[in-house]
Amino acid sequence: MDDDTREMLHETAASIFADGPPDLWEVLQSVGIDKALVPESKGGVGVSWAIACELLGIAGNHAAAVPMAEAMIGHWLLDFAGIEDAELPTIAFSPPLEPVRLSRSGDEWHVDGALVRVPWGGACTHVAFISEGPAAQLIVVARDASGVSITPGQNLAGEPRDDMTLEGVVPVAVVPAPFESNSLLAIAAVMRSALMSGAIERALALTVDYANMRVQFGRPIGKFQAVQQNIAVLATQAAAARAATEAGGEAIDGWLAGENGSLTHNVAAVSAKIRTGEAAGQVSAIAHQVFGAIGFTEEHELHRFTKRLWSWRDEYGNEAFWADVLGEHILGNESEKTLWRTLAPTGSSLEVGATR
Amino acid sequence: MSTLSFPRPRQSEAGERLRAEVREFLDDFDWRGDPHAASVFGGFDPEFSEALGARGWIGMGFPQRYGGGGYGLIERYVVLEELLAARAPITAHSVADRQSGQLLLRFGSESQREEILPLIAAGKSYFCIGMSEPDSGSDLASVRTRATKVDGGWLVNGAKIWTTNAHRSHYMILFCRTSPASQERHAGLSQFLVDMKTPGIVCQPIVNIAGARDFNEVHLQDAFLPDEALIGVEGEGWKQVTSELAFERSGPERFLSHLGVLEEFVCVLKRQPSPEGARALGRLVAHLATLRRMSRSVATMIADGQDAALHAALVKDLGTCFEQEIPEILRLALQTEPDPNASDSYRAALAHVVLNAPSSTIRGGTKEVLRGIVAKGLGLR
Repeated sequence: MDDDTREMLHETAASIFADGPPDLWEVLQSVGIDKALVPESKGGVGVSWAIACELLGIAGNHAAAVPMAEAMIGHWLLDFAGIEDAELPTIAFSPPLEPVRLSRSGDEWHVDGALVRVPWGGACTHVAFISEGPAAQLIVVARDASGVSITPGQNLAGEPRDDMTLEGVVPVAVVPAPFESNSLLAIAAVMRSALMSGAIERALALTVDYANMRVQFGRPIGKFQAVQQNIAVLATQAAAARAATEAGGEAIDGWLAGENGSLTHNVAAVSAKIRTGEAAGQVSAIAHQVFGAIGFTEEHELHRFTKRLWSWRDEYGNEAFWADVLGEHILGNESEKTLWRTLAPTGSSLEVGATR
Repeated sequence: MSTLSFPRPRQSEAGERLRAEVREFLDDFDWRGDPHAASVFGGFDPEFSEALGARGWIGMGFPQRYGGGGYGLIERYVVLEELLAARAPITAHSVADRQSGQLLLRFGSESQREEILPLIAAGKSYFCIGMSEPDSGSDLASVRTRATKVDGGWLVNGAKIWTTNAHRSHYMILFCRTSPASQERHAGLSQFLVDMKTPGIVCQPIVNIAGARDFNEVHLQDAFLPDEALIGVEGEGWKQVTSELAFERSGPERFLSHLGVLEEFVCVLKRQPSPEGARALGRLVAHLATLRRMSRSVATMIADGQDAALHAALVKDLGTCFEQEIPEILRLALQTEPDPNASDSYRAALAHVVLNAPSSTIRGGTKEVLRGIVAKGLGLR
């Protein structure tokens, strides 16, 4: 993908989100954003995961109520499973203690179990997930298949997070998975980080504008050092979130291009959600503090961003979950003799994206 | 502007080849990263500095005619982070390598460059920074040390303080007034290359709370500096010193100087597994990996000739706050008492970090000053 195409995608996405038409999702679908990760030969755009993350950053920056991350990953998985013409695929994970059961009778597969808090589970046409265990299978179920029942739910920002119960459902596809379920979770976590990073940047922009405009004690509050120091911390967290997200997106590309093992063993991929999730909490707190009472109202737009941040940081594994994964990985790594050499391996291929 | 954009860091093939060479050199060199003796930046070891200079790994960015290797800043960054990560004793030459050499390269006279830069690159010439004074810390423009023009040179009177390694450096880059303070606060300031053997210069040691004697109060009484000691242009010192600060603030020493205790922490956890310890480690590593990317991004900006002062301030703030947080997190994750004299290297390293932590958000620009710079960059003020 050349710089011009990337630039054009950015501009297209930015202008659609800025317009915010009532049929936003349909407009995004009409330009193929949902299939951005699918190869061009299969009717997609064929962007890298790093670029997909950049596009998600724009969506997060507008607090767009669309299933963009899930549809992007979903279309990529459905393409892998050989399913064409799906309208709106989403992704799901089974609860760790009660994994979905896959059974076979004759040449027909059946799935039973629960998928919890599936993003846009009620609105989707298909849900894709990966079974637990060594012989991981990529399973695709049609939402309107017999045996699928849905209990609607929401996150703090009102985005659909629906529980799905599967009883003897005949899946649309069951194929050997491209990777294990925990790698899919890591991908989803990086994509969430990208959305968060965009929302964080908007919270920063709103806060700076407000601090320059709101006058108290005869001057804009942004002239007070106490306020300046807090906003500087906000900006610093925003920059860290962006850096961690970009590294995470590039890590997915590098990993898919041939790294061995689970994506959960990739420091940059796993760090993205830890770092961005932590930034989300600090950023939301500072932004609300600067806005004062007006930012605490339903009427003001700040909560569209902060509620998403408070939800997204706990979706697809929070900071503690991923910190456990990263810490255990480093402690279990016997091939490098120091922490530093795990972080900065020699002989590693140059980062994907570095030469772009 | 309300969002600071950091470019993607550039990685160089040459840099990655150097990384392997530096590791081999460090594995073979006969020294130990001793947490008892180590200061914040590692030990002071002239023998190590010379060995490093002989490999061409000091003053790497200097042109070859001044004894440098003609490397880019990205390659220099790789070497530096490897040295810091290994807790190598680089204190003797580090200021010269990081900023004084760069300053002379940019603003020094041809004879200053020809005389000094090859010595720096050989690891034989050490520098200290004469910026802070007893009454001028964060407010650098308020310095009162004065150089008065006399026949053939300048007479300097005043005092500098917190001058790291002044007592064992060959030169100081002195920042002082050359004409009286006026309405224009940043005018009338200049920089000089000062031979520390100049009569009239006396170093008084100041012992820090960690018990180390790194910094000094330096008195200058009628110290005579020849005309040739002036660096750059008389009265342009402010502009010169601010460009120097990007080098002072942007490097990996701002978040890697406490890596040692994390390495020791990992060793302990490998012997005695702890879920709290693993979680604490995971979080710290995520921060470390992100900081490293941001710091490499700043290095890329500087290498490309972009103004990175704002980005460097932001990364230094983030890096030093991270460093300060390390002991606070470790002590709760793994219950043990810090003790600088413990035979257990983790407890000794922890004590070292606890005692040195306060300095990281002060030296090289306090976090308050840095956040003021970031706020201004965001369009506040």
